[in-house]
Amino acid sequence: MKKSYLKWFFVVGMGVALGACSDDDNNTTPTPDPGTGTQSRYVVASAPIGSQGVADYLLTTGDLSQGTISTVGQGIEQDGSYRYYLTHKGKFFSLLYGQGNPGAVTTYALDEKGALVKTSDFQSETVQVFAPAGDDILTIKVPRSGNESASWFRINADQSKIVGEGQVNIVKLAGNGERAHFTWATQVGDKIFAPYMSIKGAAPDVFGTVNPDSSWVAVFSYPGMTLEKVIKDNRTSYIGSYFNNGLSVDENGDVYGFSPAAATNSGVATTTKPSAFVRIKKGTTEFDKTYFFNVQEKSGGYKIANQTYLGSGKFLLYMYGDMGKASGAKKLAIADAYNQTFVWVTGTPDAIASSSASYNNNTVSDDKKSVFVGINTEAGSWVYTLDIATATAKQGLKVEGGAITAIVKVK
Amino acid sequence: MQISKILHTGLLCAFSFVAVAQQADVTVSGQVRTEDGETLPGASVSLKGTAHGTFTNADGRYTIEHVKPGAYKLLVAFMGYQAQAKDVNLKAGEHFKHNPKLVSETRELESVSVIGRTETKEINRQAYNVTAIDAKKLQNSTLDLSHALDRVSGVRVRESGGVGSNMNFSLNGFTGRQVKFFLDGVPMDNFGSSFQLNNIPINLAERVEVYKGVVPIWLGSDALGGAVNIVTNTRQNSYLDASYSYGSFNTHRTTINAGYTGKNGFTAQLNAFQNYSDNNYWITVDVADVNTGEYFRNQRLRRFHDTYHNETVIANVGVVGKKFADKLLVGITLGKNKAEIQTGARMVSVFGQWHRKGNIVMPSLKYSKKDLFVKGLNVNISANYNLGQEQNVDTVYRRYNWFQQFKQYEGKGSERERSLYKFRNNNGLATANVTYQIDPKHSITINNVFNTFNRKGEDELFPESAKYEQPRVNRKNVLGLGYKFDYNERWNTSLFLKHFSQNNKFSVSYNPTGNWGDEAFMVQKNSFEKLGYGIASTYFVFKNFQLKGSFEKSYRLPETDELFGDLLNLEGNIELDPETSYNYNLGFSYNGAIHRAHRFSIDANVLYRNAQGFIRPRLNANQTKQVMDNLADVTNFGIDGEVRYSYRQLFTAGANLTYQNLRNNTRFEEGYTTESPLYRDRIPNMPFLFGNADAAVFFKDLGKKGNTLTLGYNLLYVHAYYLYWPSLGSDKLDIPEQLSHDVNVVYAMAGGKYNVSLECKNLLDAKLFDNFSLQKPSRGFYVKLRYFISK
Repeated sequence: MKKSYLKWFFVVGMGVALGACSDDDNNTTPTPDPGTGTQSRYVVASAPIGSQGVADYLLTTGDLSQGTISTVGQGIEQDGSYRYYLTHKGKFFSLLYGQGNPGAVTTYALDEKGALVKTSDFQSETVQVFAPAGDDILTIKVPRSGNESASWFRINADQSKIVGEGQVNIVKLAGNGERAHFTWATQVGDKIFAPYMSIKGAAPDVFGTVNPDSSWVAVFSYPGMTLEKVIKDNRTSYIGSYFNNGLSVDENGDVYGFSPAAATNSGVATTTKPSAFVRIKKGTTEFDKTYFFNVQEKSGGYKIANQTYLGSGKFLLYMYGDMGKASGAKKLAIADAYNQTFVWVTGTPDAIASSSASYNNNTVSDDKKSVFVGINTEAGSWVYTLDIATATAKQGLKVEGGAITAIVKVK
Repeated sequence: MQISKILHTGLLCAFSFVAVAQQADVTVSGQVRTEDGETLPGASVSLKGTAHGTFTNADGRYTIEHVKPGAYKLLVAFMGYQAQAKDVNLKAGEHFKHNPKLVSETRELESVSVIGRTETKEINRQAYNVTAIDAKKLQNSTLDLSHALDRVSGVRVRESGGVGSNMNFSLNGFTGRQVKFFLDGVPMDNFGSSFQLNNIPINLAERVEVYKGVVPIWLGSDALGGAVNIVTNTRQNSYLDASYSYGSFNTHRTTINAGYTGKNGFTAQLNAFQNYSDNNYWITVDVADVNTGEYFRNQRLRRFHDTYHNETVIANVGVVGKKFADKLLVGITLGKNKAEIQTGARMVSVFGQWHRKGNIVMPSLKYSKKDLFVKGLNVNISANYNLGQEQNVDTVYRRYNWFQQFKQYEGKGSERERSLYKFRNNNGLATANVTYQIDPKHSITINNVFNTFNRKGEDELFPESAKYEQPRVNRKNVLGLGYKFDYNERWNTSLFLKHFSQNNKFSVSYNPTGNWGDEAFMVQKNSFEKLGYGIASTYFVFKNFQLKGSFEKSYRLPETDELFGDLLNLEGNIELDPETSYNYNLGFSYNGAIHRAHRFSIDANVLYRNAQGFIRPRLNANQTKQVMDNLADVTNFGIDGEVRYSYRQLFTAGANLTYQNLRNNTRFEEGYTTESPLYRDRIPNMPFLFGNADAAVFFKDLGKKGNTLTLGYNLLYVHAYYLYWPSLGSDKLDIPEQLSHDVNVVYAMAGGKYNVSLECKNLLDAKLFDNFSLQKPSRGFYVKLRYFISK
C-alpha cells in the first residue's frame, strides 16, 4: 500500500533534491551515452508488474527524452517490497520501507561510466518523512497510533550513518486531542518546516479527523530539532498528505504550500475548504494572509494530489481525476503560483487513468525548460518530457520490463 | 498387517474348534524355512480337503494334531513364496515330520517391501498419487512432523529458524493454505499455533500420508494442491511409548503416548508432548551500531531472543468394540506455546522483547462403526471446537542490535507495532464420512465437512477500538460424493464430485453523518458455491508394478481475512473467487526383490498443475491499502521420483529428487494490454530442484540377542534459487544452494523396548537458508532415550 505514496513522494522529493544537489553538477564526468547532450545522470527505478511483492530494479541513463531501456537482464535488484530513493550530496540512497521493522539503507555513487556502485549500507528506521537538510538527510518516523512520540534521525550523507536523533510528542504538539501526523519536512533557511495532518490515530479510522478545516506547520530549529512554534491557518485544509511533500521554497526564499483538501472522518470527506496554495514569506513564520491561490476554483473543481516545483513560481500539479474529490486517476497541470494561473497539460496518454498507471519521481531538465515524468499506461511505460512554457507533453524514453516507480537525477 | 492378524486369529479359532471333534491319531509338525535358510513365521500349513491347518510360530514351527490316518496333500504357503504341496500318507500313531523350504516368487512379490516404505497395503494400492511415510521407523529420532515430511519427494518445508519457528510447507509448488492438513482425517485448519506441524513430534504419528494434487473424497476439504493426513496410533491395545531428548541450544523434548484397552471395551489414550529450545544457535550477521546504524561486518554470534516452548496434551476416553460403535471417544486437546521473536523478514531486523503466545482448548468427539445397520455400511463421525486464543505482545519501546545492546526510549512505544492484541477464532468443525460397499466391485462414499469460524479480538491497549470489533463470521461446507469401482484385483477407479459452499458475514463501520464519533455498521454478506471433480485410476501391470493416474479440478475457498480485510492494512474484497487448479498426475511404482535379500522400489511421477486466480495482494482503488484479488495464474510441470534399496534387514539406502517447473502463466496483468514481460518466467523464491538421500546400516543382535544398532545418514539438497523474478536485473539476490548432512546412531535393546539414539544435525555446520537472509540452525547434537512397551 505504500508504493503509491512513495511514487508521489519521488515527484516531490525530486524537486527538493534537485535544489540540494545542483552544486554538485560542476564535477560531472562526460556521460557515455551518445547523443544525449546533457550531463545529467538519472536513475530510473522500475518495479515488475506482477503479484510477488517485489521491489525495484535500478537502471541508469543520461537521456530520458528518447530510446528504450529494459530491466530484463539488467539493473540492480532492490530488496524488500517497497523502496524509496533520495539523492543528496552526489549520493543516491535506497531506503527500505519495512513497515515498522528497522531496515537497511544502501548508498550508491556513480562511477566514471555513470553506473551505480554501492558505497555503503547501514541500518535505519522505517520512516515516512525524509528530506535533505544541510549535510544530512532528516528522517522522521511518525507512529499513526499508540506511541505518542515521533522519532527523528539525522543521517549524515557523506558518512552514511546516523549522527543525531530525538523525539517529539505529537499528541502534545497537536494540542487538540488528536495526533500531529507530519506529512513532510522541508528545510527553510536554518529551520525545518514540518506540515502535519491532525488525525485521530485510533483503528479503524486512524486517518480520520474532527479538525478538517485547518492547516498547520510545525517549525523546528535545525540541527537541534527543537520545536519553536506551530503556525495555523483556517483558509484551507492540512498541507501535503501522508507520504507527500506539501511545501516548496522558491528562488526568493518564500515557501509555498498546497492542501489537497482531503480531510476525512470515517472515510467521508469532511472539509469545507478548497484545495489551494498558501504562502509563508521568507524570514517569517506566519502564513501570509494576503496570499491565497484557490486552485480548486481555477481548475474547475479539481483537487491537487501532489506537486513538483519547477522554478520561477511554476508548479507541476498532479490533480485528482474525480471532480471535487480526493480520488480518481491523476491528471497533470501546470500552475503559476505568482500569477495564480492554471493550465492542463496536453499530450499525455488518456489511459493514465488505469489503476496500475503511476507516475513517479521526475526531474527538471538542465535548461529548466522541461520536466520529465514517468507515465505507466496499459500499453507500457514511458518517460514524458513536459514543456513547461506550453504545458505540452511528448513521449520519450521507453522503459521495458515493469512500471516506472521513480526517476531520480543523481547529478 | 492388522487385518492379517485378525484373519489368522479367526482361522485358528475355527481350526481348533473343529479339531476338538477329531479322533487323536496322527501329529504332523516341522519347521518352515526360506530357500536361504531363514525361518518363516506366519506361513500357513494345512491338509488339503480337511479342516486341519495352522500357521507357523515365530520360529517358523508348526504342529497339527489329531489327524486321522490316511493319504493327504500337505499344503505350505506364504505370501510372496511359491506354495508347496506334498502328498503324504499318514499312519496311525505316527508323528510325521516335514521341514519344507519355500522358494520366493522373485517376479511377483506384491508384499515385499523395502525398508523405509510403509507396508500399509491399502495406502499404496490407492489410485491417488500418495506417498506414505512409515513414522514408526523414525520414532527414535528427534524429528518433528515437518522435518519428516521434508523427506518426501515433491515436498519442501522452509523454515525461518530453529525449533518452533515459522515454517512454510510447499507441495508441488502449492504453499500455505493451498495444501490442507488432517489429523486422522479431521482437518487441522484452525488448531492454532500450539498444535502444528512444527511442534508435533514424530512419535505421535504411525504414518503420514501425502496426497499430491488429487485429494481423496474422505479427506473432505478445499485443498487446491494436495493434502497431508497424519495417522496417529491405530493400535487398540495397551501400550506406553515415552521418550525424552536433550541437545544443543538447550533443546528438551518429551513425548508420552499411552493407551489402555480393557476387556470390557473401555479405552483411554493419552498423548502428551513438550518442546523447549533456546534456539540460541550460531549465526553470521552484520551487526548495526545501536546509535549510528553502521554495520560491523560478518560477526559470528548466538541468537539471543528466540526461546520457544510448547506443551500439549491430547486425552481421549471411550469404548471400542461395542455393538453400537467400533469406537466412540470423547477427548480434549489442551496446549499452549510461547515464542520469542528474534528477527523480522530480514536478519538485520532484530528484536529483543517481542513475543507471541497461544493456547488450544479443543474438546472433540469421534465415532466409527463398520457394518452399521447393514453389512458394508461404514460410518465415521468427528467433531471438535477450538476455544484457544492467540496473542501478540509488543510493548517494549526499545531498539536492539545483535550484540544485545539496546536503546530504551520514553513513552508507549514498541519494537515493531505496539500490540497486546488477543483473538479467538472460535473455530468449530464437524465431519461425517459414510461408505457403503454395494458389492465387492462397487462402493460409494459420502463425505461432509462443516467448518465455522468467528474471530473475536481485543486489545487492552486500545479499549476504544473495541467498538469497532465486529463479527467476522465464516461458514464453509464441503460435501463430497465418491464412487469406487474395483473391477478386479488389478484395476480400480474412483470418481468423485466435491461441492463447496461458503457463507460469509461481516460488518464494516462507516460514518453516516461525518460527525465525530458517529458510527454505524453495514453488514456485508456473500456466499458462493463451486463444484469440483476428479478421477483416480490404478492398474497393476504385474502384482508389483503399478500404474497410477489421477486428475482433479480443485478449489481453495478464500479465507476470512482475504474476504473482509484485517481492519488495518488489508481491505476486504467480497468479490473474491476461490482459487482453482487443474491437477494431473501420472506415475508408476515398482517393487522388486532378488532372492528376497535384495529389495528395491522405484517410484516416479510426472505431474502438471494449471492454477488460476491465485489470491494475491494488490493496491486498492485509491492506493492506500492492500486488497486481495484473484491475480496470478501459474503452471507447474514437475517430475519426482524415489529409488530405494535394502539388503535383508542389514542395510538400506534411498534417494529422491524433485524438479518442478513453476511458471508464471499470467499473460496480461490487470490494466495492461501488452503481454507481461514476466509471462512464462520461473516463479521466484520457490525451490525448483531438491532431493534427499539416506542410508542406514543395521547390526542385529549386537551385544545381546534382540539388540540392534543402527547407523544412519541423511542428506538434504536444495538447488539455489532467485529471490525475485529470474529474468529481471543483472545484479541479483538469491538463496544459495543447501547441502546438509545429518548422522545418527540408534541402539535399540530388548527388541525395541529400550532405545538410545544420538544425532548430529548439520554435521558440517553449513550456513543454511530456506528464506533469504534467515539463517537456519548451526550444527547441533541431540540424544534421545525412548521406552516402548506394548501388549
